Amino acid sequence: MGDLFSNLNHGFSIALTFQNLGLAFLGCLVGTLVGVLPGVGPIATIAMLLPITFGLEPVGALIMLAGIYYGAQYGGSTTAILVNIPGEATSVVTTLDGHQMARQGRAGVALGIAAIGSFFAGTVATVVIAALGAPLTRLALIFGPAEYFSLMVMGLVFAVVLARGSILKAIAMIVLGVLLSTVGTDLETGQERLTFGLPFLSDGIDFAVLAMGIFGVAEILRNLDHTETRNVVQQAIGRLLPNREDFRQSWRPVLRGTTIGAILGILPGNGAVLGPFASYTMEKKLAKDPSRFGRGAIEGVAGPEAANNAGAQTSFIPLLTLGIPPNAVMALMVGAMTIHGIVPGPQVMTRNPDLFWGMIASMWIGNLMLLIINLPLVGVWVRLLKVPYHLMFPAILMFCCIGIYSINSLPTDVMFIGLFGIVGYILIKFGFEPAPLLLGFVLGKLLEENLRRALILSRGSLDTFIERPISAALLAVAAVLLVLALLPSIRKGRDEVFVE
Amino acid sequence: MRKIALALAAFGLATSAAQAQGNYPQRPITMIVPFAAGGPTDVIARIVGDNMSRTLGQQIVVENVAGAGGTTGITRGAQAQPDGYTIMMGHMGTHGAAPALYPNLKYDPSKDFAPIGLAAGTPILIVAKKDFPAKDLKGFVEYVQKNGDKVNMAHAGVGSVSHSTGIFFTSVIKAKPTMVAYRGTGPALNDLMGNTVDFMTDQIVNVAPQVQGGNIKAFAIATATRSPALPDVPTTKEAGLDGYEVSAWNAVFAPKGTPPEIVAKLNEALVKALSDENTKKRLLDLGGVIPSTAEQTPASLQKLVESEVARWTPVLKAAGATAE
Amino acid sequence: MSLSPQGVAQPPMRRGPIRSTQNFAGGLFLLALAALALYLARNLPQGSLRSMGPAMLPDWLAYGVGACGFALVVMSLLRDGEALAKSSLRGPVVVLLAILAFAMTIRPFSLGAMGLPGLGMVVAGPLAIIIGGYATPDVRLRPLLILALSLTPFCMVLFGDLLNLPIPIFPQSFANLFPASWSQKEILRATAVVMAIAALALFLTGRRRPSNRIDVVDHSGTM
Repeated sequence: MGDLFSNLNHGFSIALTFQNLGLAFLGCLVGTLVGVLPGVGPIATIAMLLPITFGLEPVGALIMLAGIYYGAQYGGSTTAILVNIPGEATSVVTTLDGHQMARQGRAGVALGIAAIGSFFAGTVATVVIAALGAPLTRLALIFGPAEYFSLMVMGLVFAVVLARGSILKAIAMIVLGVLLSTVGTDLETGQERLTFGLPFLSDGIDFAVLAMGIFGVAEILRNLDHTETRNVVQQAIGRLLPNREDFRQSWRPVLRGTTIGAILGILPGNGAVLGPFASYTMEKKLAKDPSRFGRGAIEGVAGPEAANNAGAQTSFIPLLTLGIPPNAVMALMVGAMTIHGIVPGPQVMTRNPDLFWGMIASMWIGNLMLLIINLPLVGVWVRLLKVPYHLMFPAILMFCCIGIYSINSLPTDVMFIGLFGIVGYILIKFGFEPAPLLLGFVLGKLLEENLRRALILSRGSLDTFIERPISAALLAVAAVLLVLALLPSIRKGRDEVFVE
Repeated sequence: MRKIALALAAFGLATSAAQAQGNYPQRPITMIVPFAAGGPTDVIARIVGDNMSRTLGQQIVVENVAGAGGTTGITRGAQAQPDGYTIMMGHMGTHGAAPALYPNLKYDPSKDFAPIGLAAGTPILIVAKKDFPAKDLKGFVEYVQKNGDKVNMAHAGVGSVSHSTGIFFTSVIKAKPTMVAYRGTGPALNDLMGNTVDFMTDQIVNVAPQVQGGNIKAFAIATATRSPALPDVPTTKEAGLDGYEVSAWNAVFAPKGTPPEIVAKLNEALVKALSDENTKKRLLDLGGVIPSTAEQTPASLQKLVESEVARWTPVLKAAGATAE
Repeated sequence: MSLSPQGVAQPPMRRGPIRSTQNFAGGLFLLALAALALYLARNLPQGSLRSMGPAMLPDWLAYGVGACGFALVVMSLLRDGEALAKSSLRGPVVVLLAILAFAMTIRPFSLGAMGLPGLGMVVAGPLAIIIGGYATPDVRLRPLLILALSLTPFCMVLFGDLLNLPIPIFPQSFANLFPASWSQKEILRATAVVMAIAALALFLTGRRRPSNRIDVVDHSGTM
């Protein structure tokens, strides 16, 4: 324990130099400003901004990059709340209740509770990383393909639970999402599937493209149909910051979200993506009146946002202690470290203690910066909603185009947001929700890969999922959750089975 | 409407008009990296490009165009204006293995490019899980041969370096282990460290830290000389395995038809970058191998591409590996 | 896309045996998607559990999507539910056109015999905004122009100058109009300033006489 304090002390002595503080601030600020562009999430932001850190010395560069990451992450949540476009998979959940709150004139409260919840989660996660990073890593190695498959199955069950309307339609969307994730070159055999022979589909559908299409563009199309509702957002602005009552409702969800997010973030197979979904599911199940969810419940923003940030933070653990990037953002971090001559691996902690502890300390500082930058900005963001919609949507449209183009420099990506926009619009028209589709899509790839990997390793025996204790436990939890999700509607009688 | 059409036409004509070549470069140069930012090829491109920018007096902007094992970006580069303002970083996969892996490839690695020069190679390492029941490469090869498909070989997806070099390895030792695909090196390494899979082959920059940290063991490095990053790991030849020398080379190309004086200027800048102490050190830190002066010429790169295509095509075709 | 036409056109009142046109159309849509997936995967091997082929999971999933679609169709015949809301085609069509215009002008584009030179953000950005703006019936050209002329330079400076992204800003031929001593960045900044001034001028002159022009003619013109 004494070690921990001297290490953290060492870290803060590095992170608190004038230059590094400035870099952390700059990173958070730029990250927020770029990340808040509709559809531009953390991956795109970091990829875009990576080159501007080249001129710095390694520790400073990584501190700045971490700042950019937090900033972009929060920026993604901001667009999710304001214009219903999630910047990344983990802020999909935030759109559910966050955007509803914005529509009710509570955008400021939603943004505020997201910032404060994130800060709390970030603080806890920093301590977790510092204290438990190394030992927890060993735990993560127990997770093999079978365990990941079961974890993803559990994730899909969450998607059923977070559905708002008809359960049948939600299941249809999840399955469709998983189906969409199989588009592209098959990982095991290299054969192309469902690509129409189009070369730009051979790598599958990009998450950003799908999300921007079925959320961003489809949302614009839907709003264009409803001249009367789309002005609601601008009229009522309401309070800018959460009040005591909001905090009373939110502190438990934040605590629970932090715990869930921090645990899932440690898993190297991008477990962090499940955090917000798990938190939302839990809040909805614990709530006295679950029907409030999806209609602007503050718990549905506070919990998942805390889980999101805790997971974002603890997903540094596999990278810093093992050198293994658990997701695309961390893979970019690996690139950034190697460019600066630090090859991430188990020795970083001993060989570059300045970097390791400096970065951990700067995580907390980054979170503090985020709070300092964003609380005043809430007012600015909320005021943006006052822009008349007939000017707002062409601007969003252009930002979406530029954002998606800047990720891969592919005009076909731009065309696809249009195509998915139309698909999303049709789905909304037919009463389907896009969120379960996106979750199915995100988990689908991991689900299939791990299923096939597990079956190859077990030489075709399905028993492997039950024989391995962790896998079996996860599947059991999934089964219980599914029953719990279906029970209320079954009990309500046959007439309402499919319409909750 | 007519005005727009006129303007479009004017832009189009002017764009296709030949540019003055005398004082090249006059504006930033785009270097296409056919992989996502952060991978080994991207890192090498940025390190080398950084120094070349200083020599040329214009910035080299890295543009990541990822997709289909790097062939998406290289296809775009091959079709770009050959004016020296679009160059690309190709590698072993895009200019060696791709013709075998992608039957519908839209470019010919040996015909559609003006080679600039070899940038850096990253040697391939044969690594196995910590508990693998073999002490050295000989024992390892015997074990894999004897146990056949009971052994699990991990790779980072069809078309990746670890996939091609892994197939090559199994064809050299004439064994058929079970192949397990991962999306990228990271998750594959994770399962290697967790004892879920048995072995893999990959670029030294990806696996060296885990070897140094004792999480996995390295049996051999597939180059002629040992690497300063892992001085204790023998070369394949030293360890008694002939015919498995392979490295994931990275090289700069321009589209076919780029004027020779521009090619010469770019090659000059590349050669200068590779002799710069700081650039060299950064590449060596990654476990990279700097090509000899003789290997840095466009002509020798052309020869390398031809020999690589000739080497990979039969190996990959025999294994039935294709990405389409 | 198989937007089932009879579903969209149907008035909200009930007619015939279909008791929820929304569920009915949704079910058909899912069935169509499932059939499409099965058709596309028809030539791929299924494999076995021990080594699953590329088609195994997509096929199962397609059956799953199809089953959901079938259930929805059956339900729409048995139970009352929501009817399809009316929608106009203007929004989707115009927004799609705006996105296509951006995609086709941002960098050199060719489709068969048709080809466009890369015009960069300076053209693609305003095109997306102005065409996109026509998606709503209450469109006015002047505010859209002001928006386009102010947001585009903002993006040019942010992405092209400050962040240094490799996103095309203007065509090379445009840069050739400037003196050779000007660097790319200087041309970019100058262009951005000119656009911003134009936006400001439009804004100031427009405040006195609000434009009430009917935009239908322009609409066909920009296409």
